[in-house]
Amino acid sequence: MSIPGSWYLTLAALLFSIGVVGILVRRNVLIMFMCIELMLNAANLTLVTYARMLNDIGGQVLVFFVLVVAAAEVVVGLGVIVSIFRRAKSTTADDLHILKG
Amino acid sequence: MMLAVLAKLPIISWPAILPETIFIGGALLLLAVSALSNKKLSSGFCAVYTILISVAALGSSMYLWDKLSSHSSYVAMSSSIAVDGFGVFVAILVCSITVLIALAGEGFFRDSWGSLEFFVLIMLSSSGAILMAMANDLIVVFLGLEIMSISLYVMTAMDPSRTSSGEAAIKYFLLGGFSSAIFIYGIALIYGSTGSTNLANIATFLADNVLVQNGVLLCGIAFLIVGFAFKVALVPFHMWTPDVYQGAPTPATSFMAALAKAGGFAAFLRVFFSTFGTLRSDWRPIIWVLAVLTLLIGVLLALVQQNIKRMLAYSSISHAGFVLLGLQAASAIGVAGSLYYLFTYSFLVIGSFTVVMLVAGEKDTNHSLDSYKGLARRRPWLAGVFTLLLLAQAGVPFTTGFMAKLYVLSALISAHGYALAVIAMIGAAIAVFFYLRVVVLMYSPAPGFAANDETGAALDTDTGIGESIEVGDEAATIQSSGMSLTRSTALVLAITVGITVAFGINPAPLIEFARHATLLFH
Amino acid sequence: MGNSVYLEVLIILPAFGALVVALCGNVREYVVRQIGFVISMLVLALAVVITVRFHATKAGYQMVVNHPWVRALGISWHLGIDGISLFLVLLTALLFPICLSGKVGLDNRSSETLVEGESVGNGRVKSYVAWMLLLEAACLGSFLSLDLIFFFLFFELTLIPGYFVIARFGHERKVYAAVKFFVYTFFGSTFLFVGILAVAFIHQSQTGVLTFSLSRLASTHFSPMTADLLFLAFSAAFAVKAPIFPFHTWSPDAYSQAPTGGSIVLAGVMAKLGVYGIIRFDLGLFPKATVDLAPLLLTLAVIGILYGAIVAASQRDFKNLVAYSSLSHMGFIVLGIFALSSEALTGGVLEMFNHGIYTAGLFLLLGIMYRRSKTSDITKFGGLQQYAPVLAGVFTLVMLATVGLPGLNGFVGEFLILLGTFQTHRWWAVVAATGVIFSVIYLLFAYQRVFHGQVSKAAAFAGYIANDDAVTAAGGSGDSPAGDSPAGVATKRIVFRDLTWTEGLALAPLVVLIVFLGIYPRPVLERITPSVDRLVTHVVQANRHANLGVSVNHSTAHLSSIPRHPGGAGKGQ
Repeated sequence: MSIPGSWYLTLAALLFSIGVVGILVRRNVLIMFMCIELMLNAANLTLVTYARMLNDIGGQVLVFFVLVVAAAEVVVGLGVIVSIFRRAKSTTADDLHILKG
Repeated sequence: MMLAVLAKLPIISWPAILPETIFIGGALLLLAVSALSNKKLSSGFCAVYTILISVAALGSSMYLWDKLSSHSSYVAMSSSIAVDGFGVFVAILVCSITVLIALAGEGFFRDSWGSLEFFVLIMLSSSGAILMAMANDLIVVFLGLEIMSISLYVMTAMDPSRTSSGEAAIKYFLLGGFSSAIFIYGIALIYGSTGSTNLANIATFLADNVLVQNGVLLCGIAFLIVGFAFKVALVPFHMWTPDVYQGAPTPATSFMAALAKAGGFAAFLRVFFSTFGTLRSDWRPIIWVLAVLTLLIGVLLALVQQNIKRMLAYSSISHAGFVLLGLQAASAIGVAGSLYYLFTYSFLVIGSFTVVMLVAGEKDTNHSLDSYKGLARRRPWLAGVFTLLLLAQAGVPFTTGFMAKLYVLSALISAHGYALAVIAMIGAAIAVFFYLRVVVLMYSPAPGFAANDETGAALDTDTGIGESIEVGDEAATIQSSGMSLTRSTALVLAITVGITVAFGINPAPLIEFARHATLLFH
Repeated sequence: MGNSVYLEVLIILPAFGALVVALCGNVREYVVRQIGFVISMLVLALAVVITVRFHATKAGYQMVVNHPWVRALGISWHLGIDGISLFLVLLTALLFPICLSGKVGLDNRSSETLVEGESVGNGRVKSYVAWMLLLEAACLGSFLSLDLIFFFLFFELTLIPGYFVIARFGHERKVYAAVKFFVYTFFGSTFLFVGILAVAFIHQSQTGVLTFSLSRLASTHFSPMTADLLFLAFSAAFAVKAPIFPFHTWSPDAYSQAPTGGSIVLAGVMAKLGVYGIIRFDLGLFPKATVDLAPLLLTLAVIGILYGAIVAASQRDFKNLVAYSSLSHMGFIVLGIFALSSEALTGGVLEMFNHGIYTAGLFLLLGIMYRRSKTSDITKFGGLQQYAPVLAGVFTLVMLATVGLPGLNGFVGEFLILLGTFQTHRWWAVVAATGVIFSVIYLLFAYQRVFHGQVSKAAAFAGYIANDDAVTAAGGSGDSPAGDSPAGVATKRIVFRDLTWTEGLALAPLVVLIVFLGIYPRPVLERITPSVDRLVTHVVQANRHANLGVSVNHSTAHLSSIPRHPGGAGKGQ
């Protein structure tokens, strides 16, 4: 007995929505960053599910690309975050207020 | 045995990805050399190296173009790369942008922080933009997008002396990552509903099948639009633009203004015009709304800015609205118009930001509009160049800016988009206003006499040149804080102005170029 | 086509001059002035040569140049001149040297700038000359272009120098006026631009050829609704530029805040661009819509005539007064155009030329008075005739031409317009005629206040009495205009000088033309008439075809009025 594919898709959609809402409402930069990761993984889950449903290996290959890109983003993103918060001593997006207008 | 395995591997057609390969190879080589050498590489060396690499990439793009005009376009790398006029046109544009930015960067970095990394990053970023333009598969579009964007995040964060640089980078990174995630989710949905990520396969699928329940597909398309809209800064997905433009080191701003638009729009146009062309009745209304918002809100917000970089950021948003008109027209002439617009706009924006860089000074801090007051007295040539570039951005006759607007609007009107055309022109009319505001400031008396004006409002500034006899000291201090014109920056300005005027007076060659690019569309 | 090169040179020469002036380094102010003047005189000479070589009896375009510019978009460098544009070109070529001659075009704003004249006068004069030459090129380009895109290019190009001339060299509220001028005209052109593209693409959908050439687009068929909309889109731009009644609010500000040279060009030349656009493009491209919407435009014209005249009467600022009187006269020209008879249209074209001349004369005289007194407030003047009899005499002549005294040039055009309009649209003509009477009233009244009346009353305001610092300071600075006066002493003595000979020289051609064209307008009329006849025939025939083909679409009032024109047109002069 197997779980229907649409459940996975729904789960992915939920994860994605949680990620979106998280970015929009949370103010901690690290948590916002995690929400992005959540969204990327929701996309991965969708890809894998569809690959299974379509019987096509292509979708699963795509997941590897996304993983690599996500890793690269983490490297750069954490680097930037560390460099700025070494000075600012806080990781709240509300502290980023020099640039406005 | 070994041979059998090798024979099964897809054939890699290296010439097809030559420009990208040259850029990536060049960047890696430069990194390796700098790691191995004992002393720090001078920025002059890095700049010359970057220019050579860019020229090599430009040459290879030209070679591809040359081959294309005799042969037809083709796909390579398991049909994930399309070698067609459209992609090569953008590749040529990207290479030219890189040459100009390397020149401007040489004038800016002067062996200070980041002189090596900047050049490495622009090469990597350019390879991403070219990849986006030539991508024939959504996942390659995504890869190109990320290669381009990640380098841009780092470039934004590079300036260690200003907190705003890091802050801009975080904003850019978070919103960029957010839009990438939306983009990839859109790809996943499209993959689910069409069974492929290959643009050609999707197009065939959509042509052969009429989807009764295409909600997932339309959702996917909407997500793609959001992703692209973030990258090319369309309202309401533009929030990052002014902050990032302001915070990033000025050469990086100038680079991202030109490159991110070129790469982003190239993929945007290709995906929507060629792949989802059959669904145009579904996405055109969305584009219409985005275009109206972008055209109007961009210019309206630009009106109230007091910082030149923010103002140019909003102006770049309104330009994105114009490029979008070509897509809204959804015709070959529309795509050609957008390409022409991107090409001319890139030179205009690089020229403008180079002037901004020169005025901002060594510390890259004088960005308030006030520092442009009386610029014509202090540095008449620079003010003249800036005037010309701003007027060209405003679309004044006999500059490339006018022909670009004419081209996209022709496309739009041939597709019966009268209302949007009128809105676009109204946007252009408002835009003239804030460009003129800077011009008037530059030709107004230098600071120190501002108090004598009847009103403080910038628009009411007295423009009579002169009336300023005792401003000598003030002018002198400002002069010293500005950056002097080096040979490389002068060359950037000469090239941008030259192209703006030459193709403004005789636009035919460039228009033919853009038109051929679309004729050779895969 | 040995003639064809004239038109190209006519446009390129001033543009080239502007470039030379803009790029020349630290040259003395005098040299810059001379370069500007000489180039504009060369343009005038060329325009005269063109007038001489113009075949008076031919109706079509002459000296045609046609090169493709952007093949992909069907844009071509297509120039030509006919009886309608000939005199506008001549007018342009005539007025610019006047604006650039000596120091009359560029006012010094107020006493504080007199000092500035010494330090940065060079940059100021240089940019004035450069912008004016560019403006001349743009105006000539607009009058000569037969390609809609090129027309639009030049039409738009006039805005930039226009803006800078007002914003940099104008009077107290110059930036406000310049921005208003720019915004109004640019918004108008928005619709023109979209309209031009729409016409071209409708033509393309009918014939498969994308072209912006006026003569080819003239054969496009539009549905009545489309034609009306496009007509309105085109007219929006032209109505703002002209200006026609409800779109005029920028003009008093711009005319009064601009420096003298700017006012002359704005009222004398750029206003004509709008009316010229109506004649050339509205009538040429949308003959049916022209007839349909003529009552609307005629009504606006008549309102403009009366409104302009009435408001002019209540102005304190003499330049504002002339601006409103201009509005009134533009109303006459529009009336002449939309009366759609040969006489009225000929009168309209002639009036464009005449209005350019006498309005330029008025602004020039006001500029001269301003240089002496630093004001153009009517109430601050008085009794000038005693001190400046020659100035007063010239002013009288120009003013009488403006009110349309028979024997002077203003009369001929207005008379033809009213005559032609009376034949086709009687009641409009009757109401418009009262405008002439109003104009006599307001101008004579203003004249009387300025040149007659009590000197002592004027002295109370002392704008031009030598008792203030301005004159003393001016006496010190060599090149300031008031410095011409030897009487820079601090006694309460009238120093209002009569015309100097340079000023007289600048006015002379205008005065000569005012008298000459008043007595003998025939050479002008016989060149205008063939082209006008051709245009009126084009409009009438297009409507006749429409009436024969579609039959019931038009209102009876027009049906009865139109077929009468060819008879009237045939008689000509």
